[in-house]
Amino acid sequence: MSSRHNGPLVAREEQKLVEGLLAGNEDAVRALYARFARPIFTLGFRLLGSPEAAEELTQDVFLTAWRKAARFDASRGRLSTWLMTIAHNLAVDRLRRETGVTRPRFVLVDELPETPSADEEEPLMERDAAIRALESLSDAERRLLARAYFGGLTAREIAEADGVPLGTVKTRLRTALIKVRRANQDKERP
Amino acid sequence: MSCVEIREQLPEFAVGVLPEPERVVVERHLQWCAGCRKEATELGSAVVTFAYALEPAPVPRGLGDRIVARIRQAAGAPGTSRRTRASAALAIAAMITVAALGWGSAMAGRADRFADQAAAAEARRERALATFGRVVRQLVPISQLPVNETHMGQLVPTAGRLGGGAVLQLVSPRTLDFTIVMVNGLERDPAQMPYRVTLQNAAGETLPVGRITELDSTGGADVVRQFENQDLTGYTAVLVTNASGDVVLSGTVDQSAGA
Repeated sequence: MSSRHNGPLVAREEQKLVEGLLAGNEDAVRALYARFARPIFTLGFRLLGSPEAAEELTQDVFLTAWRKAARFDASRGRLSTWLMTIAHNLAVDRLRRETGVTRPRFVLVDELPETPSADEEEPLMERDAAIRALESLSDAERRLLARAYFGGLTAREIAEADGVPLGTVKTRLRTALIKVRRANQDKERP
Repeated sequence: MSCVEIREQLPEFAVGVLPEPERVVVERHLQWCAGCRKEATELGSAVVTFAYALEPAPVPRGLGDRIVARIRQAAGAPGTSRRTRASAALAIAAMITVAALGWGSAMAGRADRFADQAAAAEARRERALATFGRVVRQLVPISQLPVNETHMGQLVPTAGRLGGGAVLQLVSPRTLDFTIVMVNGLERDPAQMPYRVTLQNAAGETLPVGRITELDSTGGADVVRQFENQDLTGYTAVLVTNASGDVVLSGTVDQSAGA
């Protein structure tokens, strides 16, 4: 089994990779690893706070993906979204289970995306694109998303902390996500 | 909950902070509502952008090899000693797709004015059967597992209950019989658990398939049992009961025809 390492996969390629994963095909697992291990590990590291926990999480994400592989339908969504959602859910579940807290310990509002470092061995196209897409957001919108996604704060908690109506926070969250989505769509257009 | 109310929850759902009760309601809704599912997918895609923009952390050397080894072991790749177990696991995975059809069909049946849902459920059924066929061929040579020895059925909720599911049976004179049951959308109320899955024949004799002590966030679970000294011929009724013994899902496996 082979797949291009660079550039986004089309739905058919994603479906084929996941079918290979389901069958335990080593080439498929390695192709998925090459594409997704780093963002998964990075997310785990940011949320769980140690490389050991991040490694365990990364292994669990791939194993969970194997178990759920038959559920994946490339016509319904991107493989990256599916895997990163698994990663985020597993990390948050782990934090809740181990610490009894309902949100990650690390509120990374100060670790918002930066310009990629020049000495990065493999410039990540996906990261560059993600940073460009996030440029469509205001600082306030980026902070809001970070407080929810990395900080685990619900809309109600944010509303109470900021003293604004719950509906306003929900609307702002939606607006921010739609902006990012539109920026991604613009990027995908030739 | 209406689509408007569901969509109000989707931003929090997408970033993974929607509290449990609402999250389960949203997940159940997304199982059958294509419109809301599309919006959820789009918002989820936007959220992932945020994760991708993080400063990358260095991945430990050898992690890829360790992941490959774990998956190959779990999948029972040739050379491991867990082939049999993995075979069942693969079949379960295939059944998850099959069960999605059961859930979709059940929902379509409850909202029969949505003819397009029924059509979509039928399309999923066909895809599921194709998937299962592929998996079966991966498990054993087709000559050892004639298609007419594998049988399927759907589980539907009893009055006032939620959920759905699907059943796959292998009833063969040559290999061990087994039953796989996959459910979805069951109530996660701890008072309802454990759920029990049993088979029943026309004489009222029952065989336990297994207990469900834990449900995933969509109220789903898989149960598999291989029967070493038991012919499953005639055990066509499938019942899922709650902790009180009330039947919450039921269905019949059509043993007259293969999958």
